[in-house]
Amino acid sequence: MAMLQLENDLQKLTQTARLSNAMEDVDQIINLLTMIREKYAAENNPHETNLELTMLQNPIKVRLDELNKKLRSVHKAQNDFSKSLKTAFGKANGTLPTDHDPMESQTALINRAIAMHLLREGEFGVASTFISEAQPQNDSSRESSHSFTQPSPGTMDSETSPRSPTPADTIITDADWSAFQSQTLQSSFASMYSILSHLRSHNLHPAIEWARRNCTELEARGSNLEFELCKLQFVWLFKGPVVNGLPDTPENGVSGALQYARQNFGRFQSRHLREIQQLSCAMVYSPNLGSSPYRSIFDISLAFDEVASSFTREFCSLLGLSAESPLYVAATAGALALPQLVKYTSKMKAKGTEWTTTNELAFETPLPPSMLYHPIFVCPVSKEKTTDANPPMILPCGHVLARESLQRLAKGSRYKCPYCPTEGVIKDAREIIL
Amino acid sequence: MGDHVGTKLDHENHLLLDQPLLRLPFELLRKNFRSAHFEVEKDGTFVKNLLKETASANYSQTPQEDVLKNLDTMIARMRGVKRKLTAFAEEEDRLYHHEEARVKHLAELYSMYSVDDVKYESWSRTRLDRLLVDYLLRHGYNDSARALAEERGIELLVDVDTFEQMSRIRKSLLNGSVTEALAWCAAGDTKKELRKMDSNLEFMLRYQQYIEIVRSKARTKPNEALAHAKKYLFPYRETYPHEFRQACGLLAIPPGDARSVYSELYSQARWEMLADLFTSTHNTLLSLPPVPLLHVALSLGLSALKTPACHSIHPASTAGAPSHSTSMLLAASVCPICSTELNELARNVPYANHSKSHVEPDLLMLPNGRAYGKARLEEYARKAGLLDGQVKDLRTGEIFSMDRLKKVYIS
Ligand SMILES: [Zn+2]
Ligand SMILES: [Zn+2]
Repeated sequence: MAMLQLENDLQKLTQTARLSNAMEDVDQIINLLTMIREKYAAENNPHETNLELTMLQNPIKVRLDELNKKLRSVHKAQNDFSKSLKTAFGKANGTLPTDHDPMESQTALINRAIAMHLLREGEFGVASTFISEAQPQNDSSRESSHSFTQPSPGTMDSETSPRSPTPADTIITDADWSAFQSQTLQSSFASMYSILSHLRSHNLHPAIEWARRNCTELEARGSNLEFELCKLQFVWLFKGPVVNGLPDTPENGVSGALQYARQNFGRFQSRHLREIQQLSCAMVYSPNLGSSPYRSIFDISLAFDEVASSFTREFCSLLGLSAESPLYVAATAGALALPQLVKYTSKMKAKGTEWTTTNELAFETPLPPSMLYHPIFVCPVSKEKTTDANPPMILPCGHVLARESLQRLAKGSRYKCPYCPTEGVIKDAREIIL
Repeated sequence: MGDHVGTKLDHENHLLLDQPLLRLPFELLRKNFRSAHFEVEKDGTFVKNLLKETASANYSQTPQEDVLKNLDTMIARMRGVKRKLTAFAEEEDRLYHHEEARVKHLAELYSMYSVDDVKYESWSRTRLDRLLVDYLLRHGYNDSARALAEERGIELLVDVDTFEQMSRIRKSLLNGSVTEALAWCAAGDTKKELRKMDSNLEFMLRYQQYIEIVRSKARTKPNEALAHAKKYLFPYRETYPHEFRQACGLLAIPPGDARSVYSELYSQARWEMLADLFTSTHNTLLSLPPVPLLHVALSLGLSALKTPACHSIHPASTAGAPSHSTSMLLAASVCPICSTELNELARNVPYANHSKSHVEPDLLMLPNGRAYGKARLEEYARKAGLLDGQVKDLRTGEIFSMDRLKKVYIS
């Protein structure tokens, strides 16, 4: 609740502590001075005004004191707010770990990540400003003298089929990478946003077309996007002009849906026969679908949102990119993990250990399940995560250990499973890919 | 995987990264106040004294025009106070707006309880935008920073003006001019604040000025260098004895001698050192963190997400996170560390520490050694229209009979 208290305290500050409060005193002083000046200029009796000049000293002093008093009260209110600020962050008062900055020398890679982030967010204008600003030749500032470097292999290619290698890749030099890369990436994301905006207005055609062009890659990823889109198109037509707002022609409504199915579902029959059967059976119930066993298929209230997010994910995946901006996920994960780091560093400060000296963080950073992307296997014997060099091994009894643990447990060529009473020979254990 | 550790939002701790957000407008507010106070004090005292002087002098019959002239001076001074105070009040108003918007933004977090809340996602997105603008500003990419802030409507949450002023001064130092930086030191009560924090910035700027005089005029006008040293360096002979001695020696050794012990003083690198010194002094004075907070969030975030699989020689294995129930597709999203944007950047950070395994429930191993959760295998088989009793490898596409699967026990 600390922040809510702070909201109140700030309101108090902004309502009372204002330099403008002192303005009336300044005005008063100006008035006093102007008045006497006018009088003095008009007066012929210098002695009279002389006296007034002397008598003016006190009211001016009073006004100046009043002015200072008001300033002091602003100052005091600011000091109070300073305390409120401290209290608001009281619990989170650990110092940020800024002594050691592993990102310091990584400007080029961070810039690249930012450029890609801006492009994928559809901020094309900002992205192009950034790319030209961070370009070494356009900038004299030191930090940006090595802004962009060659990307790792296997990134972006042409817009239509992202995975097909372009021979141009090999001849692209460091210097023109960013221009080339950002253009390809920009046109990729531009077409993604255009397809998405069509999806949002319930036009499935551009998405279906894209999915058809990339069907081989999609299938290899185990994606049914193309079929799901066609299915939705079928249902959408089936709903007829009242729902879909399309012209009332034979190409719309039940007949239009049937026609669409005949033209498009053939290519899916080996993989999705059962669903196609369901869709066609449902037609028999028309127009009383609501009471049919198939009503759930025809409930499309969320369907457009769902295909849109599937489409985004597949589109990005084919570019080798995650669907959610990695920069966003990483920054969020960092903020979530920060309390653990602060706790750890304040504990370690006495010992003077740096937290990045090993290849594994020295403390756990629990993240929500939605941020766990890979299966993680921690060997129950060694408590270490398995790696390429020390992979998980499955024993014939189904228990899994890291290879090094198994070798340590073994007596000669035989082992005894630490988790069940089985024994066996090491060569019967085999590597498992999780 | 059923536990919800890491999903619940710990509000107070979650704002660790955001203290500087409220700190800067407040520091500027204080600075603004001190400057206003300084001006009012100065002119107020002046008027008070002049009035006293005029009143008492008047007894001895000063000419009327002199009295009028004094009164005009006083009025002009007070009008000046009014003008300056108005400007300070406007700045105060602007800073109050910033601070209010920021406190409101942070307080919004308190209405969210879970990381999975959609409101949190948009909040966290705004945080990233803030961190990005801060990063861009610190690197002097001012146009990008301004454009992003405008595009996202977060002008009140970022400090474009402060950083633009800083980068202007920084650039002038890199171009070999100390004038702007000295003016910054002299503005308002900065001098006093710098003294309080034992800053050597002003001395180093004066020292550089001295080096430049020696470089260009030591032969023609040696006195100028001497005068400068007397005025600006001599008072600090005890605070910075090493530099002071160096400065004296400099007079005797002309520039251009590469073997000279002083060649370093004449080098361009001095200006870069001064630019960095200015930046760090500026940031300390305004309670700005020394490194971009994006670095803090990123380096830790990369580690928290990174697993040995992210840079594995095996082809990137698909993410193993349970597919979202609303999703109708099996294939999950690419991991952010495996994704092109961050893969290289994450190569040298440590990976996350896990004391427990996180795998799909009911793991089954196919004859090719690959293991998947039972639910995913079944769903994929259904979607692929396989015959009953068959499953298909999600990555390789191989088809196997169910009875050849082996149950996996992860303890
Ligand atoms: Zn066993
Ligand atoms: Zn990964």
